[in-house]
Amino acid sequence: MNTNEAISVVRVRNVLLVTMPADPDDSTITDLQARTLDAMSSQDVRGLVLDLSRVEILDSYFARTVSETAQMVSLMGGNTIIAGMRPSVAITATELGVTLGRTRTVMTVDRALDLAGQAPPRGKLQR
Amino acid sequence: MTLKIETVPGEHRDGDPKLPPETSQNLLQILTDNIKEYAILTLDTNGRVTTWPPAAERLKGYRKDEIIGKHFSVFYTKEDFESGKCDQELDIATREGRFEDEGWRVRKDGTRFWANVVITALRDAKGTLRGFGKITRDLTAKKQVEEMLRQQNRDVLEMATVPVVQVWEGILLVPLIGTLDSARTQQLMERLLHRLTETTSQVALLDITGVPTIDTQTAQHLIETIKAVRYIGAEVVLTGVRPAIAQTLVHLGVDLSSATTRASLASGLRVALKLLSLHVSAAEPSGRMEVQ
Repeated sequence: MNTNEAISVVRVRNVLLVTMPADPDDSTITDLQARTLDAMSSQDVRGLVLDLSRVEILDSYFARTVSETAQMVSLMGGNTIIAGMRPSVAITATELGVTLGRTRTVMTVDRALDLAGQAPPRGKLQR
Repeated sequence: MTLKIETVPGEHRDGDPKLPPETSQNLLQILTDNIKEYAILTLDTNGRVTTWPPAAERLKGYRKDEIIGKHFSVFYTKEDFESGKCDQELDIATREGRFEDEGWRVRKDGTRFWANVVITALRDAKGTLRGFGKITRDLTAKKQVEEMLRQQNRDVLEMATVPVVQVWEGILLVPLIGTLDSARTQQLMERLLHRLTETTSQVALLDITGVPTIDTQTAQHLIETIKAVRYIGAEVVLTGVRPAIAQTLVHLGVDLSSATTRASLASGLRVALKLLSLHVSAAEPSGRMEVQ
């Protein structure tokens, strides 16, 4: 696997910052879920910030994995914030009929960390 | 129009510097040799080049010795040549006296230029066809200006189709007027998403006051746009939901409960400011508005 394809999983304060590469292949995507859930269980973090700002291509497998991972993180008591989705990816996501449920989305990682640092949300998303 | 001339093409003494310049024929010769904007040349009855003034060489790149006697089809694009355009032009000029056309022509080096071409049948005093006069003008610059204007028109039209205006830091307004079809909604989605990321705006006010009716398909497009906007981390506030529109949406069974909707743009703007944690208050005596 070349370095361009690698996922970065970093703990920042009390959240897990996971950054996806530009064009992840299926094994990288599978890796995303495994590593995120591992880190969720081994580290005491409040939630997940998934940085998609580098992602240029979204396929149905990737979309489903993201949506499922968010649900799993939620079951483990964490919140997921998706950051930096590009317009083209967002259009693909609507075409694929992706459902993100209560997962929050923000434009930048910076904003995501701001949100994650706030008190746990009371159901409805806060901006 | 048929041009009557006394000399036949074979007798042309073009480019001969020793000619005395007193006759009008010679003055005409000097004109065709020196004029820069037009290439004025003659063809024989079969369409082969018989005269080649310097202006023609400048425009088309062929030297006199390599083009005299060649068929004029070498100036045409491959497609035009194959479609028999050259012969048709001579046929029309023979029949009607004149043929005019604007289109792409090819230089010796293969580059194209946009040309205005006039072909005139040349007949002698008895009315016998002696050849053709061909006037070519390079209009590439004009063509480019036209293209630019057309592009500007397209841009203006796009702005009219999907206007996206920043009304406040972090707030974009899309005042939609007229019917929303699939193509337009697609354009709307793309433009709005790009403008939102460009300006890092968090709220888009989608105002449908000027949209006459909404059908299931339009509503579906709007819902998709709202979703896509949410994916990139922004929020749509749908404003201008008139009573008729509200009735239609409910009767169609369109579920817009996931979106924020308001009757007027003003109340939508209030929602947008609130989402950005801004609030508007009247300042003391002058009554000026202040946003904090």
